[in-house]
Amino acid sequence: MAENIATEQGQGPDKNGDEKRIIIRTVGLKKTYMMKDVLTQALRGVDVAIDQGEFISVMGPSGSGKSTFFNMIGALDSPTVGRVFIDEVDVAQLTAEELAYLRCHKIGYIFQSYNLIKYMTALENVTTPMAFGGVLPDEARERGMEILDLVGLKDRWHHRPIEMSGGQQQRVAIARSLANNPSVLLCDEPTANLDVNTGQEIIDILVRLNTEKGVTIICATHDHRMMNICDRLMWIRDGQIDRIANREDVHIELASIDGE
Amino acid sequence: MKVINIDNQPWLSLPRTLKITTDGIRYRLFRASVTVAVITVAVAFLMNILAESLIKRAVASDTRERIQKAQLNSIWASKLTSPGSPESIIVETATTEKGSDLYKETQIFAKFDDKAMEEFQALAKDINYIFNFFENLDYAKRRDLIHTSEGVDILRYLSDPENYKTFYIGLSRYKSIHFGMEKEEFDALLAKLPELDATINTILEARREANAKINAILRRDYPNANNDAERLAMALPDADKEFGDSIRSVGFVFDKETVAPELARQAQRLQYTTRMKNSIKDRPVRQLIAQEANILPADVNDVLMWNFLNDKDFAEKYLVKMADSGQDIEGLSADLLVDLAKGRKEAEALERAERLTMDAGRGFMGLGERLAWLLFVSLLVCGIGITNAMMMSVTERFTEIATLKCLGALDGFIMIMFVLESCFMGVVGGTIGAIIGALIGLGRMLSAFGVNFISAIPFLDILGGMLVSVILGTLLAAIAAVLPSWKAARLAPMEAMRVE
Ligand SMILES: Nc1ncnc2c1ncn2[C@@H]1O[C@H](COP(=O)(O)OP(=O)(O)OP(=O)(O)O)[C@@H](O)[C@H]1O
Ligand SMILES: [Mg+2]
Repeated sequence: MAENIATEQGQGPDKNGDEKRIIIRTVGLKKTYMMKDVLTQALRGVDVAIDQGEFISVMGPSGSGKSTFFNMIGALDSPTVGRVFIDEVDVAQLTAEELAYLRCHKIGYIFQSYNLIKYMTALENVTTPMAFGGVLPDEARERGMEILDLVGLKDRWHHRPIEMSGGQQQRVAIARSLANNPSVLLCDEPTANLDVNTGQEIIDILVRLNTEKGVTIICATHDHRMMNICDRLMWIRDGQIDRIANREDVHIELASIDGE
Repeated sequence: MKVINIDNQPWLSLPRTLKITTDGIRYRLFRASVTVAVITVAVAFLMNILAESLIKRAVASDTRERIQKAQLNSIWASKLTSPGSPESIIVETATTEKGSDLYKETQIFAKFDDKAMEEFQALAKDINYIFNFFENLDYAKRRDLIHTSEGVDILRYLSDPENYKTFYIGLSRYKSIHFGMEKEEFDALLAKLPELDATINTILEARREANAKINAILRRDYPNANNDAERLAMALPDADKEFGDSIRSVGFVFDKETVAPELARQAQRLQYTTRMKNSIKDRPVRQLIAQEANILPADVNDVLMWNFLNDKDFAEKYLVKMADSGQDIEGLSADLLVDLAKGRKEAEALERAERLTMDAGRGFMGLGERLAWLLFVSLLVCGIGITNAMMMSVTERFTEIATLKCLGALDGFIMIMFVLESCFMGVVGGTIGAIIGALIGLGRMLSAFGVNFISAIPFLDILGGMLVSVILGTLLAAIAAVLPSWKAARLAPMEAMRVE
């Protein structure tokens, strides 16, 4: 039954021409927050399948449950009900060591609130996940500088988060998410605090990662440029999937609306 | 083929762990130093109480020893003139060591062989235990159990079957009292009462006889003195010579090598002291002190005199004045006067120390009840202070824990990080605190007891106390940091981020 849902919805194009492979799949995902006797249903049953190498944009009004959804599929939080499969492995079955490995090597996170470590420089923030992954310090430093160069922060490598602007911090967060060449990149509004040009640069980086390295990118955004380059769009409303559509279909719709 | 193959996360190398930990501490230096300061104060408080307790305990036993030594004169003066009481004989016998002079002396007076003497000492110990037991009871209970009897009469009182019954009924009523002697044992003890009376009478009789002989010798040798006390005071300085032989000849055990010279010295000094005290009776002598102190001659007293005699120049002038007014200054010198004045100061310090350490010897570790209670409270304050400070500093870092976990940190890494950090803080704060606490304790105790107790200060014990305090502070800090961080590390990262 769950398999069916997954295949029905997995309509994204396959860039490599290989058989499609589902990399993230959720089954009946629900999350309820309990705060001082007040229950908030952040997710009310989400079933979705995301293909490997896909670039999918997630949209929805504020408070609709996007970040909550990201935490679930990124193995950062446990769902109240339902399951998350990452490459067909049930996350709930993993041991603590395996979970750490998964978070460290396979999934890159860009948090909405960056979550940089305050006492580390930009470079250290980027190299810390590498250190956890067992990369030697020299190599880590070299690679860290490369990635910082990629996001345009090469000459700010020794700055601490509080010494940087919001946009710069966001770019450090992006650099950190790329540290261990993840297979899946979860981006929670990665361009929210960036100006048009830097935002475009980041989008270009994401697109390049997606096309050249086949990284699966799941991106919460309100940015229209993102909609133009993604494979699929997904709308979340009130903790449920409102709609999933291919980009082409959406463009036709938009065009028709514009035409009216 | 799997795109995402899942493996086990490796451990982070120790240097890297250390680097991250020290970076964290350095970044939060202010916050960390506040936490360290709290640990410092808590440990200093504990250490201060501990150091003062240890010093007090040591000074107490030192004081007791010194007083006992300084009292040779009065001990022998009373021994040579009075046979003592049954109680004093029992307590003496119970508390002296087997083979000591006193032990041998009692054996001679009681005309006991070795075995009988051993039995007598065992009996004395049991009776002394009973004395102490009733001594420590409050008045109401004591009255209930043994009415108003005291000393050996307690045993006589309890030998009466009626009283005996009331006593055991009373004991069973007061649950808090622990008598500590089995009923059979106690019965056997009561049965020995006639035997005890006989022994004590023998000893008292022998001592009375010895006292009479000494008195006769004194009357013979010092016919010019006014009374017995004066004769004894004149004879005792000769205790290391002929008079010592006389003491031995009448049956006392009086060691020629150790006790005799010391007793002679003390007696001699006492004689000089008395002579000096009387010296201010002469007006010219009094005037000298009055001039120096700028007061009226009539207001001069011996306390003032001793104060001034501390100075050698004054002592010389004083001796001249004494000679001028016709006083006997034979054997006196300026140095001796200064020494006597110093001796008086020391005696005063001893008295003060004895008063200040009254309660030592009882309670936990012989620290005295009040100090043991203080130590307990300071332990509590120390524990709560450190726990609170550490917990606060960990709780405000749950976000950091969560973020590190998102990046692939193992729970173990987070634990190591917090163990390292809290141990570091504990050791730094604990060491500074222990040093400060010990120094304050040392200073306070020195100012209370005076520098001539410096030799009594148990530096090794204090060092041990410092070690214990540092370890305790570190342990508390580590536990208080590790428990909450373990709680946070076990949670899913985003759950930890939500914890407030
Ligand atoms: N820690 C929490 N405790 C209680 N309720 C929470 C918590 N986090 C989120 N929520 C609730 O869950 C719902 C979804 O929140 P979520 O952060 O997923 O929204 P979002 O789509 O990411 O919004 P935004 O676009 O503003 O980032 C919201 O109604 C929010 O109030
Ligand atoms: Mg959000």
